[in-house]
Amino acid sequence: MEKNQLYHKAKNVEDAMAFAIAHSEDFRFIAGGTDLNVNRFHGTIQTSCLIDIHEIEELRQIKGEGNDLHIGALVTLDELMQNPIIKKEFPALVEAAHSVATPMLRKTATIGGNILCENRCIFFNQSEWWREAVGYCLKCEGEICIATGGTKACFSKFVSDTAPVLICLDAKIIIADNGKQEIVKLEDIYTGDGLKPNKLSNTALVLSIVVPLNKTYKCVFQKLRPRESVDFTSLTTAVSVDETGRVKVAVGGVDPKPIVTEGKSLEERDELIKYVMKKSRVVDNDYYTRPYRRLMIDVLLKRCFKKLSSEEN
Amino acid sequence: MSKKVVTYTINGKRYDVLVESHETLSHVIRDKLGLTGTKIGCEQGNCGACTVLVNDKAVLSCITPAMRFEGAKITTIEGLAENSELHRLQELFVEKGAIQCGFCTPGMVMTALDFVSKNENPTYDEVRDALSGNVCRCTGYKKVIQAVVEYAKEIAESKNKSRRIEVIKVESNRKSKHTVGIGRPYIEATKKVKGAADYADDIKIKNALHCKLLRSIYPHARILKIDTSKAEKLQGVRAVTIGSELPEKFGVLPISHDETSMAIDKTRYIGEIVAAVAADTEEIASEALKLIEVKYQPIKEFLTIDESLQDVGENERIHIYGKFNNNVHKKAELRFGDQQQGLKDADLVSKMSFEFEGINHGFTEPHAATAWWDENGLTIIAATQVPHYLHRSLAKVMDVPLSRVRVIKPYVGGGFGGKSDPFPHEMIISHLARKAGMPVKIRFSREEVFITNHGRHPSKMTLQLGVSKEGMFKVLDADIAIDGRAYGSFGVVTSYYNGVLLQAPYDIDNFGFRTFRVYTNKPQCGAMRGHGAVNSRFATETLIDDAAHKLKIDPVEIRLKNFLSPNTLTVGQYRITSNGSRESLLKVAEQSEWKRRHGKLEFGHGLGVACGFFISGSALPIIRNELPQSVVYLKVDFDGRVLITSGASDIGQGSDTMLAMIVAEVLGISMDKIFVLAADTLLTPVDMGSYSSRVTFMAGNAAKDAAEKLKKEILYTVAQRKGVFPEELNLSDERVFSNDNSVNLNWMEAIDILTAGRGAVSISGKYISPKLGGDFKGSGAGLSPSYSFGACCAEVKVDTETGQVKILQVWGAHDCGKAINPLAVEGQLEGSWHMGLGQALTEQMKYYKGLLVNNNFLDYKIPTSRDTPDIKCNIIETNDPEGPFGAKECGEGALHPIIPAITNAIFNAVGVRITKLPIMPEDILAGLKKKKQAEEVAG
Repeated sequence: MEKNQLYHKAKNVEDAMAFAIAHSEDFRFIAGGTDLNVNRFHGTIQTSCLIDIHEIEELRQIKGEGNDLHIGALVTLDELMQNPIIKKEFPALVEAAHSVATPMLRKTATIGGNILCENRCIFFNQSEWWREAVGYCLKCEGEICIATGGTKACFSKFVSDTAPVLICLDAKIIIADNGKQEIVKLEDIYTGDGLKPNKLSNTALVLSIVVPLNKTYKCVFQKLRPRESVDFTSLTTAVSVDETGRVKVAVGGVDPKPIVTEGKSLEERDELIKYVMKKSRVVDNDYYTRPYRRLMIDVLLKRCFKKLSSEEN
Repeated sequence: MSKKVVTYTINGKRYDVLVESHETLSHVIRDKLGLTGTKIGCEQGNCGACTVLVNDKAVLSCITPAMRFEGAKITTIEGLAENSELHRLQELFVEKGAIQCGFCTPGMVMTALDFVSKNENPTYDEVRDALSGNVCRCTGYKKVIQAVVEYAKEIAESKNKSRRIEVIKVESNRKSKHTVGIGRPYIEATKKVKGAADYADDIKIKNALHCKLLRSIYPHARILKIDTSKAEKLQGVRAVTIGSELPEKFGVLPISHDETSMAIDKTRYIGEIVAAVAADTEEIASEALKLIEVKYQPIKEFLTIDESLQDVGENERIHIYGKFNNNVHKKAELRFGDQQQGLKDADLVSKMSFEFEGINHGFTEPHAATAWWDENGLTIIAATQVPHYLHRSLAKVMDVPLSRVRVIKPYVGGGFGGKSDPFPHEMIISHLARKAGMPVKIRFSREEVFITNHGRHPSKMTLQLGVSKEGMFKVLDADIAIDGRAYGSFGVVTSYYNGVLLQAPYDIDNFGFRTFRVYTNKPQCGAMRGHGAVNSRFATETLIDDAAHKLKIDPVEIRLKNFLSPNTLTVGQYRITSNGSRESLLKVAEQSEWKRRHGKLEFGHGLGVACGFFISGSALPIIRNELPQSVVYLKVDFDGRVLITSGASDIGQGSDTMLAMIVAEVLGISMDKIFVLAADTLLTPVDMGSYSSRVTFMAGNAAKDAAEKLKKEILYTVAQRKGVFPEELNLSDERVFSNDNSVNLNWMEAIDILTAGRGAVSISGKYISPKLGGDFKGSGAGLSPSYSFGACCAEVKVDTETGQVKILQVWGAHDCGKAINPLAVEGQLEGSWHMGLGQALTEQMKYYKGLLVNNNFLDYKIPTSRDTPDIKCNIIETNDPEGPFGAKECGEGALHPIIPAITNAIFNAVGVRITKLPIMPEDILAGLKKKKQAEEVAG
């Protein structure tokens, strides 16, 4: 009954990659592990091989390079919040990080882990016994989505609070996979499919998040949740405006991926909000009801716009 | 490489441990190294109880792989005290009363220590934020935050002065001649803060097997077949059992013995136990469960109150007894005065319907127990509030004489009613231990705790209150339905309490209620803090607010007009003795600047008020018999120490300390001459246990009775020896002396005389409540020798766009008669108000087709420190004539007024009446919309 379990502490990226390829049929990278380990506890993620990357020093740096800030994927949310450059340049990112989980979890949870946080649904994030009792949903090898009462698609929600802000800041991520590195826009990695929320292959590693430093953004962030700590988002909104007046909107918690849209100026508020409302596939898988969350998209986004407008003036 | 020897330095000591590849750090620390000060409350990183420091950084050990920290320096709670001196932060936790049940304490301390080491001189709000990942269900966080803030301040000051912190010690021997009335930490607080107090899961009994339970996945299903043969063959499995092996029914109330240890013919809720395994390890036991095959035949389930009130037709009822073909468990109805006349006399009738979700106790320590058999019969160590009822139930189910069962209560990490029933798992491990011939241990996951439930009943009710234009209450009528779910538990009592506990604190001559309790196919409800009356109190206080508003009478004034006076009888013949309603209400009105501010705040900002009352223990025991409700033994021997032996269960509320303080006060000795031995049914006398807020009043009175008898005995013996009259002698300040000083002995000299020629002296004290109540059926419900009273005022801000409510401040006042230990009383009151906030704002048990959805501390939303406003706590003392030193209850009643105070404040803020709990933002938005439409039509 006992499967041979492995735990490998990777010394560097190459070591992690090599071990991953050697065990490519069954392994998981573990960074902070605050998400992964709870999913393992519930049995929604099962693996006999953990590759612990959290001590890879090269992925724990925050440094300026040219016009960009490189945030190592293994920087913890707590470290991120304390970083003087981030505090100065990206206060909305600090706010977003501060809104994640609890102070204790933020000491271990990493920024890379947060942007790749597994999508959530109240019918999925449950014990093995519970999922059996409910009849297994689509996301755990069942036939249908339970939250929607029988569709063939999964609407587990995207819950990262930092990703919407990073997207608004035009962040890119550097991914290492198969001996190659590529740099992609953060919003481009999300699929919108609750079953496989991002495009990364299982051997891919996010090395860092690159945020441009040379654009004078203003960015604001709002989060809806029942309590002021602990809770995953019921709705996260971020809106930014750059020096040209270009507006970017990213909304989390209401769809399997962040809903992203752009406009030429803050004047386009209503159309942008309308677009987000139209694209959001909110289902009843949260503390708050579907109609309420939909209604709040409008309220929170308007607040973001209002705040930006008042800051502009 | 499944296992590997890993080296850690833990608390300065080097350990080489064989660690499994995917083992959690908490498992290594607790189960392999025996450092059980680190607690497991949720296993998912949501409660913070497992916090340790790894290389001086706080880490949640329950979700961290142990392999990660090879070679690390780890500090657990056990590593903080140095050379028997507590760490200063630990001392402050003790001094400030930040420790109640103590289960969250180690995690809180470690989290706080990490935070303060990295944040110089933090503000109160920063500390509040830093602790927002550590769940505490007892304290309401106030005293915890105070302790941390003070510690941080001391650190900052010591740095400024660039010297070591001078530790200011608490005086252990206060110079006052009195003990009662002077706040002090719990006697076991030091043990708890060091992580040395053993809770049920911390206790290792040699060779104990591990038990795991197989639970039903259907809400209502016939069990056609259970095949355990494969599980039995698995190596490491020692015993397997199914329901038919334990057919004897049990339950906390003698009239509701409706539950067997495991389902026999059918299951009645998702999560009901159908089989159990005892094996060498938890992993093997879990594996064995997968090999048990159960064949179910689902039958029509009943999931709502409305459905269960109806005739079931051809379908099968949940339980077969009862006259009618429905799922009604109990109908309770009482009427006093003439309600029809009352309605005629009223100038205004306020009538509303209400709905309440069920909630759970949310204690931080999951249920755990270990049982074994030896030449003395059965011994069980269990996290229980009522060893006595567990004792009786085990004897019945195991079919052994009462004399062959011993129940030991270790330290218990909170109860709030949720550990007051005898539980199936306690029967099952006792049975498995007998079957396997080895001790058997069980510990619940948080999910299992939630599935076991016994929490507050969800309910629906319609109430009407008739009021004269002068604001006098003329009539109150309540029509109530409560969802008892699968089994009886305390439900018959709950059914009555929903109604009868509305006959105070106001004088209402025409009063009546009818409650139906129904069975549905969900985990059973039972007793929870404020038992039975919380929801109907909410409804009543809402109607009062509505009537006051419509009659344009101030909500404080209308209540003052209608309060019962002290020393009176209610309409249902409750004897009211001391009554601090008026003082409580005036206090919170004054502090909130009610007169100046109420009704004068801007839209969205409001003040609300409400009152409440509760029993100080039920005057009638659950099991009718002629035993006293409480017995306390005292023994004093040659060493001068007084041993208190009591069956009362300290579950974090401080009852052991209360008993010691009472005895110290009567005998005039210091607390260090007293030792409390409690809650072991072999060694301690019968006490009914910790429920219905009875312990201070009843066990306290029994302790006082015993101490007075011992005092008499000491004085009599000394008088005889010295040739004086006992009446001439005094006993105080550790001396026995006559007024003329011809006799002047210290305590030890007096004890030498007392024990000369006879040895240790043992004395028994007792409490039996007086005969009370009317001569009618149902008159016993809610009867108590004394009642507590209280009031709350809340200030809220409502976000009119999101509908979210922010509670800015709470003022609370509670008449506890006399605070024996004011520090503990404050803790009980602040904890009660905090718990009420949870029911008001975010707590509910959500089901999907009978399956509990939010079975963890992430989705079941107990307010965090950040969600808890400042709470101003007022103790009102009225000196009850029958309470020990005038004391009454303070553990439950305070919860009643807080919830309606919040919703009345919401009405005051935005004009929306809340009739459903928890308060959902969208209900507020709907109310605002409706109001706007009405205004448009009107205007």
